[in-house]
This record gives sequence, structure tokens and C-alpha cells, in this order.
Amino acid sequence: MHYPFWYVPWLTSPMLIAIIATLHVFVAMFAVGGGFVLALGARAGYRPGGGPLLDYLRQFAWFFILITVAYGAITGVGVWWIIGLASPLATEELIHIFIFVWGLEYTAFLVEIVSAFVFFYGWGRLDARTHQITVRIYAVSAWLSLVLITGITAFMLNTGGWSQGAGLWRAFWNPQTVPQIVARTGTSLMLAALFVFLHAALKLPRGGEVHARIARLTARWAMLGGALVIVGGAGWFVLSPPSAQAALAAAAALNILMVLLFALTALVIVMLYLGPYRKPEWVNPGFAILFFSMGFAATAAGEFVREAVRKPYIVYGSILGNGIRVAEVPRARVEGFLNNGTWTRAYIGERYPQLLDRGRIDQARLPNLPLAQRREIGRVLFQYHCNDCHAVTGYSGVDQLIRGWTRGMIADVVRAPDRAAFFMPPWCGTPEEAEVLTDYLASVARPYPAGLMRPGGEGSQ
Amino acid sequence: MTPIAPPSPHGYPTPFWLLEALKVFGFWLHAGPMNLWYAGMPAAVLLRFLGGTHGRHLARRLASVMPIAIALGVNFGIIPLLFTQVVNYQFFYPAGVLIAWPWLGVIGLLTVAYYGVYVHAESSRRGLVLAAGAASALLLVAIGFLFANNFSLMTNPGQWLAIFGRTAIAGAPSGLALNLGDPTLLPRWLMMFGLAMTTAAAYIALDTAYFERSGDDTYSRWAGRFAVLLYTVGLVWFAAAGSWYVFGTWHKHVQQAAIARPAIAALMAATAAAPGLPWLLLVLWRRVGAPKLAAWAAAAQFGVIGINAVSRQWVQNVELRPYADLASVPVHAQWVAFGAFVAALMAAIWVVAWMVLRLRAAWLRSNPN
Repeated sequence: MHYPFWYVPWLTSPMLIAIIATLHVFVAMFAVGGGFVLALGARAGYRPGGGPLLDYLRQFAWFFILITVAYGAITGVGVWWIIGLASPLATEELIHIFIFVWGLEYTAFLVEIVSAFVFFYGWGRLDARTHQITVRIYAVSAWLSLVLITGITAFMLNTGGWSQGAGLWRAFWNPQTVPQIVARTGTSLMLAALFVFLHAALKLPRGGEVHARIARLTARWAMLGGALVIVGGAGWFVLSPPSAQAALAAAAALNILMVLLFALTALVIVMLYLGPYRKPEWVNPGFAILFFSMGFAATAAGEFVREAVRKPYIVYGSILGNGIRVAEVPRARVEGFLNNGTWTRAYIGERYPQLLDRGRIDQARLPNLPLAQRREIGRVLFQYHCNDCHAVTGYSGVDQLIRGWTRGMIADVVRAPDRAAFFMPPWCGTPEEAEVLTDYLASVARPYPAGLMRPGGEGSQ
Repeated sequence: MTPIAPPSPHGYPTPFWLLEALKVFGFWLHAGPMNLWYAGMPAAVLLRFLGGTHGRHLARRLASVMPIAIALGVNFGIIPLLFTQVVNYQFFYPAGVLIAWPWLGVIGLLTVAYYGVYVHAESSRRGLVLAAGAASALLLVAIGFLFANNFSLMTNPGQWLAIFGRTAIAGAPSGLALNLGDPTLLPRWLMMFGLAMTTAAAYIALDTAYFERSGDDTYSRWAGRFAVLLYTVGLVWFAAAGSWYVFGTWHKHVQQAAIARPAIAALMAATAAAPGLPWLLLVLWRRVGAPKLAAWAAAAQFGVIGINAVSRQWVQNVELRPYADLASVPVHAQWVAFGAFVAALMAAIWVVAWMVLRLRAAWLRSNPN
């Protein structure tokens, strides 16, 4: 509430984070797993008789650079852009705790980029040993960047009760870090296989020796990746906060996504064994595209689940999902949400000077405004208090969620959203503000659907 | 009253001066490759299609280095981006949100521009090379304009409420705005382009003196003349836009602060005069022909970029001073983490240097002439 909230109709601005993050993570994981594939492939390729494999790897390395160094790097910056725009307070919080971890990640990223270029441009120029060292440097630095960023995203889900005095490393090595590193390492190996299959299916003749070698090599490591995903995923679940476990059990959408995730992972492992590992000729364009699509679906589902189970927080225990610092909630409930919000105060002060008393919004004056103005101010409250998770109409649209509700029902939920659903943040304003938000919500609620029994079982409408 | 967010309860992870130094250092590293693609890409496209034999040769050389320049520039840009968010978060985030869609558009534009650069460098189809190169050059210049928008808005919080008032929907900005009303916007953007031209010129000199190995003297002479000409145009451009920026758009309190202390006045004068040194070295290189002079010119240009980065930071601090006392924020030091970062950076530089030197040695072996 200390930063302006970016209004994105229908979708909500935080959903843009999910979209860009998914587009990035899919390739960022490939950048990590692909490094291992290239390192292992180069090792096999530099052995006697490995020339054709090496020739193929050269083609693959170019594809790899075009995807990871260009698209992957820029969408990574895109994640920075979008989190600063859609969730500035949480970004502020994380960067002040983890700036030097991000600095470390940057150094790993620097080595990653340079080693990728040197590996590619050194082909046929560098001796075999140096060439292999270069690709191993790439693989290690890419994996280290995964480790470093995972410690930060893991902290968002389980801070392990961290406080400022506990120091940075306690924050980094939180209970979620290791399981998430294991799961993400596994995911990266699996996703790398999907990209390799796609490339090999399009570039190599089926039934050829190189096709078979690359399919088997990648499938073997991808199956290991699948096992890591299961082990890491189990650790992630066990070490999640109780609210995250409860959210997984309570929300139907998360149930479905989790089942989908595990089912896809299990299916991919089985298909990897039956297909590319035992019968490499299975790897044709259709198979590869199917696998690729499954991987993308699993990545998107994983990102959605990861974001959803943190609710009501963005940074667990510290920053609420609606961009409010937990420590500031008690004051906001006394002095008013609008008063405590830097931009809401400026906006209301400009538009409704009659509400001001010595520069502060006088809560007692809110109920005396005409209904139209109360609704307008209620909409301001909605933007800053609710719009992070709910559009008015659109994604998780509140107009549908409160369809047919009475004013009293809406007021009950507004006064204590966390009682209505434990994954919603608490009400962070005064009772007067709750009333104006209720006025607004009542004005956008759609009517009870026709053709059903009346609420309370009074017969058909 | 200007809506400024309260300071972070976490304070700074190191003293303010060190964060500022890291930010400036990061920007300095970033600005080299960024300058190269900013002015180098339009130059490459123009030379490819309007230049003669030598112009086309230089265009191809510039084009071939662009993918790496962009990769490094984006990578080096992370450091100033990180430290801007540690030190200037109260200004950086609101400015970004107010122009959110254009600012987010940078990512899409850069993605297209980057792939366009690859197509421009790798394709053999003339039409495609022209289209991709021209589109990339235009997009990169447009990205510069968007950066100038955000960073001028960030340092001009007095504009925020006007933009907010125009674009807010129930108190939340739509993000559909640009900072077009800011008098500093255009000179900032143009000044950076002038500086970029000088950097591209210095790079061309370095390339001609050390990396171009065709042995064609007529090309070397032509490229030398072109480098000096480009540097001269950039220098004049930089001086004109810089004068407009400093004398025409700076707030009174910034102008007064710039001359209030001799050290700062000297810094400002040095920033203005600095490009003269590489220019002089380039002229000498053209006349004398000693490659070392081109190397010295490139090194001096790096110094020019550095002194610009320091001056920009000083101006930014003065512009923001009326809104927040950034230097007095409490420090909760993370010295171990800082040490780890510095050690990792040193190790990374060592590893990078090792790889690049190995590649260079291998390249020299495979191209003995």
C-alpha cells in the first residue's frame, strides 16, 4: 500500500508475474539441465568414434544459445521488471534481505553466459580438454544460479521463523531450500530432455546412431530428474507451512493441479523408459511435441501451485498477498487503510478534500458521504486491498464470487476475510472503511442465477 | 505532498556509499556494451546498405559482435538494476508503475531486437538482413527512450501526482503513460546517444587496430577516418545535448549544488571535457598509425563512460535529496555476504578471463595472419 497499485483490468497485475515467470522458468530450467546434457554429450563425443555425436552437439549448442542466452536471459530480466511493477513491496523486502545472494547469482550468470559463448565459438578451435572444461564450467555455474535463486524463492514460502537478527544465511538456508533445489534440479534435467528430443526429432534422421545415442543419454538423466522431482516434491510438501498444506487439501483447483503435476511426472518417467531409453526411434516430431507440451503444462501448473500455496502471504509471515506489511496491519485497522497507504491517502486527499482533517482522512466522515461517493472510495479500497488476487470481472472475479449475496453476507466477509477463507489476508482497515468497501462490492455483485431454488430453499425463481 | 514510501525496516546491507559505488561500478560496466549496440547497431545497418565496400565490411564486423555485446550488456545491467532497487526503491518502483506498460514493453522490444540482431548477423538474405537490422536498431533506440522516461521520472517525483491524476482508475494507475512532460527527458536521451556514438567510434578504432586481420591497408585507413568522423559527430552531439540538459533543464538547486563545491564543479567540468581526450588520441592514431594509440583511446573512452556514471549518480542524489535522506538510512551490515559476493566476482572474472584468453589463443592459432 506504500506503492501505487498497477491496475490491469480482467487479469490483475500479479497474474502477469505468473505468466512471465512461467515463460522464463521453462527456459531457465532448460538452461540448467541443458548444460549437463552438453557436458555429458561432449564427454561422449570426444571419445573415439564420437565425431558424429559431436557434430550434432554443435548444432544443438547453437540452438541452446539462441534459446537460453537470448530468450532466457531477457525473460529473466523480465521477471525483475514485472515483480517490481506488480509486487513492489515484496520485491523491496526481498532485495533488502538478499541483495548479495542476487549478486552471487549474477556472478554465476556472468560465467554462464561467457562459458556458453566460449564453448560454442571455441568449437573446432579449442583443444578437447579445454572445450570440455568450458562446458563443465557452464553446467556448474548454471546449476549454482539455480541454487542461489531457489534459496530466495524458498524463503518466500517458509522463512523458518527468520527475523532480521538471524542473519542472511539463516534466511537463505530456510527449511524449503534443499527440497526445492532437489526438485528444481530434477525438473531442469527433465525439461532439458524435452528440448533435446524436440531438436533431435527435427534435426536427426530417426533410427540413426546419433539419434539413438542422444535419446538414450538424455532419457537416462531425465529419469533421474524425475526421481529427484518426486523426492524434492515430497520434501517440499512435508516442509511447507501448515497453511500451504491446508491450501493444497482445501482448494479444488490446487488438488487438480497437484494431481496433474504428479501424474504428468510419473507418466513422463514411464514414457521416458519405454520410449527414448528402450526404443529411441520413438523420438519423432509428434512424440517430441507431445512431451514438450506436457512439460510446459507441468511447469505452468507448478508455478501456479507455488504461488498459490503461499497465500495469504507473498513473503511468508511478513508481506501479505495484497502488498501490506504484516507489522502495519494493527495500525491500519485503527487509523484506516486509506490513511496508511501512501498513494491512497494522496488520491483521496485530492478527490475528497472534505474527508480531511489536518491532513488525515477522518474515518467518521466516510459514512456521511452520498452512496455514489462511498462506492467510489470502496473501489479504491478494492484496488489496493483485493485486486492483487481478484479482478472485479475476470480472473477470480469478485462479481462472480459474490453472485447473489446479500449486503450482510458481503459485509461479514469484508470484516474478516481470513475467517471466510484462511488463505485470504485479514481485513486491514477500519469498520467504516469495511462499510464503504461493502457498498462497492454490493454494487458489482451479479444476481443469483435464474432457474435455481431461491437461496434458503424457498423454491424455484 | 509527494507520495514517498516509508524506508525499508531492513535498512541497508552495507553503508550507503558502498551501495552507491557498486551501483556506479555496475552501470559503468553496463554502459560500455550498451553504448556499442545503441549507436553501433544503427551505424551497422546504415553502412551495410549505404556504405561502399569498406563500409559493408565494417558493418559486418559490427554486426558480428552485436549478439555478444547485447548478452554482456544485459548481464552487466543486472548489477545497477539490483543496487538501484536497494538504494532508490522508493523512487524506482512508483516511477515504473506510473509508466508500467511502456516500461514492461522494454522486455518485449528487447527480445525482438535481440533476435533481430542475430538474424542481421547470421542471415545471407539481403532483404531479411535489412529488415531485421533496421527493426533492431530502431527498437534499441526506442528502448533507450523508454529507459530515459523511467529514470527521468524516477528523479522527478514532483511529476508523479500529475501523471497519477491523469491515469488513475479508482486510485490505481493504468500504467498507460510516458514522462513526456519532463523537460529533462529529451536531452537525457539524446545525450546518451551522443555518448554512445563516441563509444562505438572508439570500439571501431580498437577493432581496426587489433582485431581486423585482413591486412587491407585501404580498409584500415578508411575505418580510421570513419572512427574519427563518428567520434567527432558524437562529441558535438554529446556537447549540444549535454549543454541543453545542464543549462536548460536542471533545477536551480542542482545547478547551484554543482558549483557550490570545487570538487563537484571539477567533476562536472571533467565530465564535459573528458571526451576530448579519446578524440585527441583517435586523431593522433590516424596520423601516426600506432595501434597502441587506439588502445589508449578505447581505455580513455572507458574512463569517459566512468566519469559520466559518477556524475549521473551525483546529479541523481541531488535531485532526490529534497524527498528522502538516502544517506541516513540505518545499516544492518551483511559483511560476510558482501565478502562472498566480492570473492565470487573476483573468481568469476578470473574464470572468464581464463576462458577468453584460451579462446583467443586458439583463435590466433587457427588464424595466424
